Amino acid sequence: MLLLDYQNVLIQSLLTERFSGAPPASIDQVVSDFDGVTFHLSTPESKTKILVSIHVKCFKELVQYGAQAVLEREYGPYIVSPEPGYDFSVQIDLENLPAEQEAREELIMKLALLKRNAMAAPFERAFDEFAELAEEASRYTSESAPQGVKEGGEVMSIHYREEEAIYIKASHDRVTVIFSTVFREETDRIFGKVFLQEFVDARRRVVTLQNAPQVLFRNTPPLELEGVPGVENASEGEMSYVTFVLFPRHLTPQRRYDSISHIQTFRDYFHYHIKASKAYIHTRMRKRTADFLQVLNRARPENEERERKTASGRTFRVQS
Amino acid sequence: MASQTPAVVMDNGTGYSKLGFAGNDSPSFVFPTAIATKAAGSAGSSAGSRPAVPNKPSFLPGGAGASSHLSGKRGTEDLDFFIGDEALAAGSGPGYGVNYPIRHGQIENWDYMERFWSNSIFKYLRVEPEDHYFLLTEPPLNPPENRENTAEIMFESFNCAGLYIAVQAVLALAASWTSSKVTDRSLTGTVIDSGDGVTHVIPVAEGYVIGSSIKSIPIAGRDITYFVQSLLRDRGEPDSSLKTAEKVKEEYCYVSPDIVKEFARYDREPDRLLKHTVTSPNGRSVQIDIGYERFLAPEIFFNPEIYSSDFLTPLPNVVDGVIQSSPIDVRRGLYKNIVLSGGSTLYKDFGRRLQRDIRHLVDARIRASEARSGGARSGGLDVAVVTHKRQRHGPWFGGSLLGQTPEFRSYCHTKAEYDEIGPSIVRRFALLGGPGSS
Amino acid sequence: MSQSLRPYLQAVRSSLTAALALSNFASQTSERHNVPEIEAASSPELLLNPLTISRNDTERVLIEPSVNSVRISLKVKQADEIEHILVHKFTRFLTQRAESFFILRRKPIEGYDISFLVTNYHTEALLKHKLVDFILQFMEEVDKEISEMKLFLNARARFVAESFLTPFD
Repeated sequence: MLLLDYQNVLIQSLLTERFSGAPPASIDQVVSDFDGVTFHLSTPESKTKILVSIHVKCFKELVQYGAQAVLEREYGPYIVSPEPGYDFSVQIDLENLPAEQEAREELIMKLALLKRNAMAAPFERAFDEFAELAEEASRYTSESAPQGVKEGGEVMSIHYREEEAIYIKASHDRVTVIFSTVFREETDRIFGKVFLQEFVDARRRVVTLQNAPQVLFRNTPPLELEGVPGVENASEGEMSYVTFVLFPRHLTPQRRYDSISHIQTFRDYFHYHIKASKAYIHTRMRKRTADFLQVLNRARPENEERERKTASGRTFRVQS
Repeated sequence: MASQTPAVVMDNGTGYSKLGFAGNDSPSFVFPTAIATKAAGSAGSSAGSRPAVPNKPSFLPGGAGASSHLSGKRGTEDLDFFIGDEALAAGSGPGYGVNYPIRHGQIENWDYMERFWSNSIFKYLRVEPEDHYFLLTEPPLNPPENRENTAEIMFESFNCAGLYIAVQAVLALAASWTSSKVTDRSLTGTVIDSGDGVTHVIPVAEGYVIGSSIKSIPIAGRDITYFVQSLLRDRGEPDSSLKTAEKVKEEYCYVSPDIVKEFARYDREPDRLLKHTVTSPNGRSVQIDIGYERFLAPEIFFNPEIYSSDFLTPLPNVVDGVIQSSPIDVRRGLYKNIVLSGGSTLYKDFGRRLQRDIRHLVDARIRASEARSGGARSGGLDVAVVTHKRQRHGPWFGGSLLGQTPEFRSYCHTKAEYDEIGPSIVRRFALLGGPGSS
Repeated sequence: MSQSLRPYLQAVRSSLTAALALSNFASQTSERHNVPEIEAASSPELLLNPLTISRNDTERVLIEPSVNSVRISLKVKQADEIEHILVHKFTRFLTQRAESFFILRRKPIEGYDISFLVTNYHTEALLKHKLVDFILQFMEEVDKEISEMKLFLNARARFVAESFLTPFD
């Protein structure tokens, strides 16, 4: 596995099974996803009505950036009032599904992407903001642009994990997405540094990636985050900041959906691969250890006493 | 609840792995413990079986660009694999070979297991292991080195927040607490764990496995399937594939109180003979008859001679022998709480028959000793076989039950403790769910 | 093999062969005990002069002979942070399995990455020249393994970064 899926596999497989006409059964499952997201799938009223609820750590922030609107757009008719303890709920009636297979699959996928869609709001807002600013900026030369256009929109911060956050800022010619990351482990920190350095260099090195977002990596808060609350006090050296600069070509209406999905997976992708590398290094070390043991065991004299067998199959030891 | 991430419960068995989150009533994923990797040898490197060393990185994108041949040449073979059902699917095609990292309940190939876990966590469960506590299971008599290796992988590769390794049989006992028959939550009992490959009878006293008394029986789910298949073949049914036999076994089989009477009953009441429709993938459907195999198949536990010529001890006798070989002061508790676990114990009336047969054995022994002692009366011995709804994934469910308790985390070893002390820390775990905890 | 490596390994080989002349020696300080004197260090007259063979300031071998045991400690080349952590991981992995590496010391001597302890029992049961072979091969392969792992890490990081950025194209 190279890239992580955008959707939640469990929701997908569970709903696929339910939708395929299997006999109704009651469900009550609490499911986790990356970044401390929790889902709750249940059938509280009847076996044919599946309630899917999501809890996101930073839902308040997301709502502030328009999550409700995004979710309403995606799940309009299915939305019900949120289950206590969760932030957002949708309910699907198995007796009232779209008739066509394709539409059903689409619905399943949409539900499996609940986390992605909940987290998408600030990105969408930033992309819209960018479009406005670009529109406005096109009317000025770079010198005469008013302050507001030059500086771009405000920084949106999403504290999606306890210690880490995503910051998004729209400008007239780009959208900047900054991940703050922290490593608790020395090995991870060093591996992470190697990986991030390659993210930074990839664009310069590989011809085909010239159009990819620019990646920057530093240990101090980038200039964009100046004056953003909560950033200064966290910068005690452990925090690193990874900046993705999305250019207009990533922000076109055709591309934005995939761009948003993809950039959301960055942190988990990054951590997954650090761990996969460690697993591979373990594999190597195991092999190498076995090799060493083989060499060491060569030091044992060959002709150690061996058991001998008589014709009748009885064993005896040779007296030395 | 929202403030704490649920613990991840993983029960990796020889045949199937059960993965899920603590607090749920069933595992989120159940799939074969199989991993499909690129078949070795195609690379043909001189390094032999050592994992291929990645080529020197090419700084030249080489015309077509690196993306076109990304995975092939960069030493990323270790990412190219599938697990579970996908592994079996990939293994049936060219290029991949299927491996089973667990044999006889114990992990044999740590390289594959590490990757199996990696994919379980990141692809299926989708969790960041740093945020979650993990509850893993191990078979009884697992060597402590295996535990250490497990801890090494879980803590060093995955940085998981905390780890608890529990013995499957103990978890199966905990799972039986959901049964209405169980009143005191004791961790003393005899676990009969029958999966696909082998059946174990494991006595557990106060949460500790009595290793010297464990017995295993070479009759389990797979044998029942084979037996059903042979019965179908003997009768010349139009479809007697292994898959059909499995289906028949799972859907129609039950345990009869007495096979002779059952035969007579079938002859009297022909409506007990059923029809089963097999639909093959190409849409054709065949109907097969189902007859005596309904009760004969599970009967091989109680009368092994009808199936096997090597192993002839009926299950009730094995259970009785196991308990008799355990220390005398726990035998009463072991008889009183015989817990079933695993897919092959799910037949209707399996527990009832087992209980009856064991009770017969026990009563006969008591009567004999009463006779020998000349007049002394025994107080009798209570034999109870517990069946419950969570039998199929017993160990997993027990893990889920214990993993959601508020004190679970305090029983785990954390990453910080591991870094401080090293892998040997996992040689000892406080007994979860034992006396003193709620 | 680079120019300076051959003489370095040759020096280690000769010194080791010379040092591994061990005999059974009962403890002088406690009755009916027989301990590796180099570890116990209770009687200075039983310890021979320790010897350091350095290839450069990052790679060296310390050989501490005594009457019935020899302690060999290696310092593996670590040019940067990455190599440092890889060496640390690898030596830890090995010492974790010290049970089967009967001459491996569970803890390295201060200032070194990994230590071996060879006693007279080992030289009695095992072929001495093969033991020396093992240590030399170990020294060679550890370097190779560390640099291969580092190469792997860089290659993997590059691959991972490119793969993530490609879909944006």
